Amino acid sequence: MILMEEQRTDLQQGKQMDVMIASPLDLLFNPRSVVIIGATPRENSVGGVITKNLLTKFKGKIYLVNPKYDEVNGIKYYKTILDVQDDVDLAVIAVPAPAVPKVTEECIKKGVRTTIIISGGFSEVGEDGARLEEELRRIVQNRIRVLGPNCIGVYNAFNGLDTFFLPEDRMGRPRPGPVALISQSGAVAGAILDWAARRNIGVGLAVNYGNKLDISESEILEYFARDNRVKVIVMYMEGLKYSGEGKKLLEVMKEVSSIKPVVVYKAGRTKAATGAVKSHTAALAGNYEIYHAMLRQANVIEADNITDAFDMAKALATQPLPRGNRVLVLTDSGGMGIQAVDALDMRGLQVPELSESLQEILRKQLPPLAVTRNPIDLTGSATDAMYKFVLDTVLPTSYADMALIIALMQIPGLSINLGNYIVEARRFNKPIVVVSFGGNEYVAKFENNLEENGIPVYHAPHRAAKALWALYEYAKIKGVTKEW
Amino acid sequence: MVIGMNPIIAKALDEGRYKLLEHESFELLRQYNIPVPDFALVQNVDEALKAVKDIGYPVALKVVSPDIIHKSDVGGVILNVNNDDELRSACERIRNNIREKSPYARISGFLLQRMVPEGLETIVGATKDPIFGHVIAFGLGGIMVEVLQDVSFRIVPITEDDARSMIREIKGYRLFNGYRNILARDEEAIVYIITKFSELLSDNPNIAEADLNPVIVLERGKGAYAADARFIIGST
Repeated sequence: MILMEEQRTDLQQGKQMDVMIASPLDLLFNPRSVVIIGATPRENSVGGVITKNLLTKFKGKIYLVNPKYDEVNGIKYYKTILDVQDDVDLAVIAVPAPAVPKVTEECIKKGVRTTIIISGGFSEVGEDGARLEEELRRIVQNRIRVLGPNCIGVYNAFNGLDTFFLPEDRMGRPRPGPVALISQSGAVAGAILDWAARRNIGVGLAVNYGNKLDISESEILEYFARDNRVKVIVMYMEGLKYSGEGKKLLEVMKEVSSIKPVVVYKAGRTKAATGAVKSHTAALAGNYEIYHAMLRQANVIEADNITDAFDMAKALATQPLPRGNRVLVLTDSGGMGIQAVDALDMRGLQVPELSESLQEILRKQLPPLAVTRNPIDLTGSATDAMYKFVLDTVLPTSYADMALIIALMQIPGLSINLGNYIVEARRFNKPIVVVSFGGNEYVAKFENNLEENGIPVYHAPHRAAKALWALYEYAKIKGVTKEW
Repeated sequence: MVIGMNPIIAKALDEGRYKLLEHESFELLRQYNIPVPDFALVQNVDEALKAVKDIGYPVALKVVSPDIIHKSDVGGVILNVNNDDELRSACERIRNNIREKSPYARISGFLLQRMVPEGLETIVGATKDPIFGHVIAFGLGGIMVEVLQDVSFRIVPITEDDARSMIREIKGYRLFNGYRNILARDEEAIVYIITKFSELLSDNPNIAEADLNPVIVLERGKGAYAADARFIIGST
């Protein structure tokens, strides 16, 4: 695997090598050339959206295949993939299901090694579809690698490869960033990307594998583990479908988790939902308890919902790992401080009372009404300078392995400059998360400044607490924590 | 790693049985160093009196029959047998009970089993999931498992760390550390049993279901025993 990574680098540098073989998944995510089978100028169709996506954004060669057209707007259409002269790294297939076996055969003949079959109408629609899927399985076996069928494929913000057939005005595209998403549901993947784009969360890579005829979540996880652009992997899963594949996924997750954090949200936890999972994915939902056990055993961090998963991912992608579970809570609102302590304590994190001597130092500089035990409450008379003073005094001590900062910016003494002080506190190499709440433009500016400088912002204390918990959990997994 | 099918399981399947007899279950556990009480399979009173000399009193006497599922329902189990006289009458009583309540049951013999000292009752169970393969469950015995569903699961193969974390995951774990006049329990002994049980399951893919119930956990340093075991064989 590592060898292939090197080969890829050499490939990009254009070196001549005896063996220049990119892995099939490399071709899936980083192809130099893509053919769209079922390309069309009709904008409001699946093939049309994919065609437009790639023509406008993809940084590589594109070939369009559709026998109905010769040329549209100066762009050539080929009758079949076999008419394309050049080598093709990746084929995207978006034709009606009955035509899929034939065009897949043509891809194999052409020498294409990896394909995304977007088309639906297979095992997810009943017995006829299942038969068609079996026919397809026989065709592809060991001859070509397949993502799908019945999937929305790949989004790669780095190179503009985007087979998500949801129009740009309906689904925003997130900026390139350190989070990678693996989703069993296509619609959920689309909604997540739209949501992340709105919140300026960088999701560099996203993939939906649909019916999983061939390429599985395990293989994708392994691939993302080796991609240095990816810092955190978020997985949305409903259920596995093949006999024995649970063990494989467990093994892979365990290995990947030792390299980088994996956050998983498994939906279909209740008995009521298992029927829905079964009809949705044609998978045996199985007992949630077993999935829960697998996630524990695999050292992945389990999220309770999608927002949770991204709250944690944001911190895992940007913050150093804590050495212990002690949290400094610094606030300008006593009430918010209490909520933070509740949430931290419920997750097993400590808010230790500061030593008398440390409190004495703080008291000399802070207003008389300020509370200095931890949580440190600067009250409504807080200023930027007070936050800076507390951070600079307490963060270097052993009382704080990490910091949860609450800044309700509605207070007159606070300014955008507070954000700069918080960003400067990154030099202590301890995780910092910020709680901010409010709707005005000034608050938004403050929050954006923090996020752009690698400090995650949350709109409620319990969400920030959970993000710190995830950092501590992963620190334990990596074995960097020390016992108190 | 056992090559081929375990002879105990092969014998059961040969005889058309999908359930191991009690002494077979114990023997299988012994192969994996899982502690079981000293036991012997005997056919009659004379054999029982001879075997008890090695095992020592007190013992439990249980009927062994491929036709009886719930032994205690038909009076097939007598606990706390303390001397030769009691042992004689226990054999007699079980025979009479079976004759009366389950007259057509074949009797393969009697299992003579050393009584295990009292301790914390736990359950170590296993099922085979179509997706994940063997899954091991752990919980405290009795109502804790059934009513409170205070159980944790892990997927085979299970490492020692996995076993430790599944023990600590249950709510009743506090009992392992001692409480008031209850002494702390031998947690490492149960960690050992779970990891060995995992090995047993890995080697025998055709085990469909298994229950070590109860597993008695003694005081710290004194070990743990599977006091009763049940194995159901399925397809691989």
